[in-house]
Amino acid sequence: MPALVYLNAVAFVSSQNHPILVRTFGQERENNRDIRYHYIAHTSLDVFEERITANPKNTESYLGLLYTMDDVAVYGYITASKTKIILALSLSDTVVKDAEVVNLMKAFHTAYRSAVANPFLRLHAPADAVSDHANSLQVGGAKWKNFRRAIDDIAASTGAISAPPPPPKN
Amino acid sequence: MNSYPTELLAQLAPVMFVAGLNPPKSPAPQPVTPTTPSTPRAQDSFTPLITRLRTTLSAVRQVSIWQSEKTKTFQIVLVDKDVRFPPRKLHPPDDYPDQTPRSPLSPLTPSSPLYPDGLVAPVWIRKHTSFVPSVFVLFLHLFEFPPHTPRSPLDLPDQDRERQREAEERRQDSELAAEIAQRKKATNERTIKLTVVLLASRRMLDDTALDSRLTYIRRQSGLDSRASLFVLSPVSQSELNEFVQSLQQALYEPAVDYYTSHSKRVRRKRNRHTHGNSISYPTPPVSSVPVPRPLRPEGWTVRYEYKMACFAEFRGEDEVALKHYQDAYSALLLMFASITTLPPRTKRWAEAKVLADSIDIKICKLYLYNNEHSLALSFHNTHIRKFCDFSRIWGAGENTFEFWSWMARQQRVMAELLEHGMRSTLVLPVHRPSLLETPVTMPSQQSDALTSLGVNPAHALQHPAFYYYTAARYTEKRREMFTAALELEARGAVAKLSPGFANEKKVDHFSLVVEMYTRSYELFKQRVPSGTSQHNLGRLIFHVAYLIAQTYYASEQFDMAIKFFERIAKTYRKEQWDVMLRPLLSIWYSCAQQTGNMELSVQLLLEMLGHGSITDDAEHLEETLYGVLNSTVPSSQDPLVVELLNFQSIFRIWTHFWETEVYVGQPATFQLTISMPEDISLSSLSFASVSVYFSDDTSTPLVIHHSDDAPDSEKKVRRVALGNVSQYLFDAGGAAEGEANTIQAYLRWGSGVSITFMGTLQLEVPGTLKLAKVVLTVKHNSWWIELPIKLNELQNYGDRTLETPQWLTSVDPPRHLPVKLGDCTTATVRSRPHQLHVLISHSGPAYLDEEYPITIKITNADENVLDVTFDVILHPPEDDSSANRIILEDEESTSLIRGVRFGVLEPGAETVKTLYLLNTGAIGDRTLDVSIRSQSITQRPSSPVPRTPGSAGLQDVNETLQTLVVPTAQAIRVTSHVTYQRPLQPQPGLADLRMYGNDFWEDSVSGEATITSVFRCVASCGLKLESIQFESQEHTMARLIDCSLDNIEPEDTADDWLTGDEFTTICRVTVSQPEGSKSNIPTPGVYVVRWRRLLPDGEPGTLSTTKFALPPLNPPSDDLVALLDLPSTGRLHVPMVMRLTVRNSDSSRTAVVTVHLEPDPSDGFVVAGLRSGRIPMLLPETEATLCWKLIPVECGFARVPKIKVIDRRKAIVPPGQEPPDPPPEPGSDAEGDIVKLVDVRWDGRTGGGEEARATGDIGSILILPQ
Repeated sequence: MPALVYLNAVAFVSSQNHPILVRTFGQERENNRDIRYHYIAHTSLDVFEERITANPKNTESYLGLLYTMDDVAVYGYITASKTKIILALSLSDTVVKDAEVVNLMKAFHTAYRSAVANPFLRLHAPADAVSDHANSLQVGGAKWKNFRRAIDDIAASTGAISAPPPPPKN
Repeated sequence: MNSYPTELLAQLAPVMFVAGLNPPKSPAPQPVTPTTPSTPRAQDSFTPLITRLRTTLSAVRQVSIWQSEKTKTFQIVLVDKDVRFPPRKLHPPDDYPDQTPRSPLSPLTPSSPLYPDGLVAPVWIRKHTSFVPSVFVLFLHLFEFPPHTPRSPLDLPDQDRERQREAEERRQDSELAAEIAQRKKATNERTIKLTVVLLASRRMLDDTALDSRLTYIRRQSGLDSRASLFVLSPVSQSELNEFVQSLQQALYEPAVDYYTSHSKRVRRKRNRHTHGNSISYPTPPVSSVPVPRPLRPEGWTVRYEYKMACFAEFRGEDEVALKHYQDAYSALLLMFASITTLPPRTKRWAEAKVLADSIDIKICKLYLYNNEHSLALSFHNTHIRKFCDFSRIWGAGENTFEFWSWMARQQRVMAELLEHGMRSTLVLPVHRPSLLETPVTMPSQQSDALTSLGVNPAHALQHPAFYYYTAARYTEKRREMFTAALELEARGAVAKLSPGFANEKKVDHFSLVVEMYTRSYELFKQRVPSGTSQHNLGRLIFHVAYLIAQTYYASEQFDMAIKFFERIAKTYRKEQWDVMLRPLLSIWYSCAQQTGNMELSVQLLLEMLGHGSITDDAEHLEETLYGVLNSTVPSSQDPLVVELLNFQSIFRIWTHFWETEVYVGQPATFQLTISMPEDISLSSLSFASVSVYFSDDTSTPLVIHHSDDAPDSEKKVRRVALGNVSQYLFDAGGAAEGEANTIQAYLRWGSGVSITFMGTLQLEVPGTLKLAKVVLTVKHNSWWIELPIKLNELQNYGDRTLETPQWLTSVDPPRHLPVKLGDCTTATVRSRPHQLHVLISHSGPAYLDEEYPITIKITNADENVLDVTFDVILHPPEDDSSANRIILEDEESTSLIRGVRFGVLEPGAETVKTLYLLNTGAIGDRTLDVSIRSQSITQRPSSPVPRTPGSAGLQDVNETLQTLVVPTAQAIRVTSHVTYQRPLQPQPGLADLRMYGNDFWEDSVSGEATITSVFRCVASCGLKLESIQFESQEHTMARLIDCSLDNIEPEDTADDWLTGDEFTTICRVTVSQPEGSKSNIPTPGVYVVRWRRLLPDGEPGTLSTTKFALPPLNPPSDDLVALLDLPSTGRLHVPMVMRLTVRNSDSSRTAVVTVHLEPDPSDGFVVAGLRSGRIPMLLPETEATLCWKLIPVECGFARVPKIKVIDRRKAIVPPGQEPPDPPPEPGSDAEGDIVKLVDVRWDGRTGGGEEARATGDIGSILILPQ
């Protein structure tokens, strides 16, 4: 069964709003349009802050549809440690089920968690360095392939990165 | 919105014409007629009213696109009194005599703009909004005869005058009625409701004739009976508002009726049309000249549906309007679907497109009125999609500018519509996930099962800023396509260019794009909710700003672009979105180049170098930079200071100290490493010097100059020895500058080159050592560039914290040592600890009640004179019974003695103080905290260091803390043993009056206690006993009889006791315990022992006094006991008395006692007395005594004859009961209880009642020969 959502990119942004990793899939990667999703991830931080400010007591991670821009629908998820996960879905004229997006988000979150838990990230760190932030930033670095691989696997397993359908015309 | 005729977009409302309110023409000469002398005056009094009415009426409703409120308001148009309506039907020209009269706007009318196949023109709507009203309100003046003021109250009413007045009024009213009737005729033609408002003075309202006059006028003019005639007199503004309001209320229904009748008419026509198909449609002849063809049936459907929709909108029936608009729209789509019906790029086609777009907007708007956001958006999207498809058929697909122009317009119109709405009643939905949705406040229809699981993002209504943004993006594409078309034209390709190409050339695409981006930018800015700082929520804004800047760049407005870039880059840098920064920087650099701003170019090139480690053109960048420096000159001679935030990506800079803690005056070694990553090279950049600032910016820096001759220039890892550079730590003015010491090094950083500067720093006062700033200076031709790098910001950059600093240990071969621990970027300088030897000694354990000496010996081994003070804290005891004290000189405390001065100690001096600890209570450990503070009071050699007040350097204080645990034990341990003797004296009789005396001592029950105390010396050091005394104390129940110390002088007990020595005392106490009292009786006295510790040197210590209380007394009680009193010795053949006392101590029971003496031949006695018998009954607390005479017949220890005392109480059979059968054996247990027989010579019991000697064990008597 073809997936209902077509995943263009996923972005991980640290608690201090620094980019961890922006990963594009399918055609978007082939067309080398990474930068576009950098912009999308960066601008969506505004909507994150807007939603959090509007509802500070919210404990739910999933923030739902943040906005649509051009041909992309952007969804947001914020972890307990304020790491933000941003999904860019290809805009098609169908209802996107929240549960489906939440599942994807959770899978990405798990991948991120296990990547950050890698003790070798701190192999060269000073013994008393306590910055988790730097840790999380490094996860997305070019040196650590597992995280990228895990993300690609998740995206592939959902079937969401098969070439998106041509934009609906009628 | 401006792209479409306003008529097609504006919200329609019933139209009301108001006539007769012409603005007063002030200078115009009023026609003065003798017949109506009152007119000018009346006019005057109504002028303000008319002016106010005009203002009020024109303010009722403004034409606007968004007006969702459904109040009964009219679109009021002020017209001239004799306004004419446009002709309703045109009579057909003479050459078409067979045709029916038609509206001048009908496509069937040859003179119509729509002839022959037009759909709906804006002029049709304008007709209904501006030229034809639904109600017509005519303001007229009611004639008023000038009032007659009687000259005197006695004047009779002037009959003539009255008559004249009536005639005049009648005449005027008839004229008025005629005027109204004429107007009425015109309005009746169009079934327009006519309402007349007569302006009259207040006086007139009270006139009794008014009613009849009004009736007359109405009848004469043929006005309706309902809501068609009003009278208004000059009133206040609020009343005027009320009047306008009620006028509208009253006329709303006729207005609705008016539009309903129109609708009905159109519907009839439509039905006729659908069924009749009366008009034939010849196929157009194939020819190049377009032959006018009549409108096709679809076109008529569009017309009729559209008109019905408009009329419904006039009536305020949004849902009906929506339905008709949709029908019109779908009919229109049918027309577009066929090229023959609506050939593309014709005038009609363009009109139809405009009509379709405007219907789309209307439908969206009507959906939005009802908060059906997704339906609105869905419709709009479908509209766009449909027309995209049509565009392809029309040859205006995605690769034409027309297409994108149209797309952009659609987005823009949507944005504008939303903006209009948000200014009014529209609330944008927040797309929270439905899982968290709290009860929806908005009445929406999105509650079906599908949408509750999620939303269709394409149908999620967003902020208008997003639509402006998209419009701008589309306009960019439009420009792209236009440019492509231009190129095509330039190449002379005879491409089929669209007709709009010439027009398109006039369009300033850039300003269009900027306009829309700016709109989006401003809306995003407004969107920032209050309470959050703009700074935090600027990312959307910055993204749009970036696009604006790009547009400025593309339109060659470089200065504008640079301004934008400056601001945007700040945020991107701060949040380290390097990927986004890269394209920004390159465009920025191009701008800088274009504007000839060389300084900025250099600065940007340097920053780009930093990001160049990711891109692949790092070498190219270096060449470019080199080229720029070579070929240009700076605009000023001042150094160009480039503060790079991302210097970390160009230079890897580390500073660290080998030791993070050093003592004052001790040099601390540091390394400053500046290295270049492998993929960047700055070898062509000639660095002139490196300046190192050690404290703040004002201090003199240490400058390392470049020298081409410096050694190691070819090595990749270099080390520059700086030596001791402490003089640069502070701004010592000329002191540092005066040094002719110039350090030179080869300062060229090729790829992978690392230069380590190594030196030492030392401080004469406590403080912190660090490197504050490094400034790299580049001098190239006339360029002088300074790169300041703040070293304290190093840690904040990126993943820096995950790298371990490396200490360069060897240059050849290069070896590094990772510095893994602690923050080594600073070194703390501490004072040397004072060399103060503290010796606390005591010879434990301490004994209770002793002032235990603890000596504290302090030796100043430092070279400074030290002022020493001293605090002692005694920890609180663990159990409450202990009360401990510390005593130091004249201070004494149970917890803390502070600030005891040891005084100023010269180097080498020592001082001793003794602290006494006095322990009482329980044994155990006592804990003391001793804190010794020493402060150096030696004058330091004057230092160049400016002393900062409050710094730790001023008070060179050391503190030594010691915790002392003193075990505490007993010096003397006392064990006491108490025995109780039964009293032997006869008990007082029941009636003995002495018992009632105050001083009666009733010891006949409890008897005496003998307390034996053994004092054992357990102190390991031995004691010198000064004295041991018994101090008796009076007590009501116990009284000392005697003590073994009574006859000894206290001094005589003085002795040296060694460990294990014992000393025993005995005292006897008589106890008078009242009956029934069970409580312990304290002993009447204590032993007071004065003793001294024997010090190790044999000398006695301080005198200590310990008091030992004797154990409390608890005499046991008896119930029935037999006491046998025997002499200890006897003489052969000399009779002696044996006395047996049977005592019934029970307080309630009577005793029945039998005594049996069982002589035995082996007894050495001859016994005279009772052999066996019963003692008279013993009442409670009485006793009976039996005596026997014994005559010893043998010498030696003679046994006493056996005596058996039996309590027979149990054996007595109460009267009425059968005696047991068989009767018990006399003397057996069954006969009764054997009473305890006590030999009083051995009597003694412990507190628990335990006998010293077994019951019944009677001792023997020593019989001596005579």
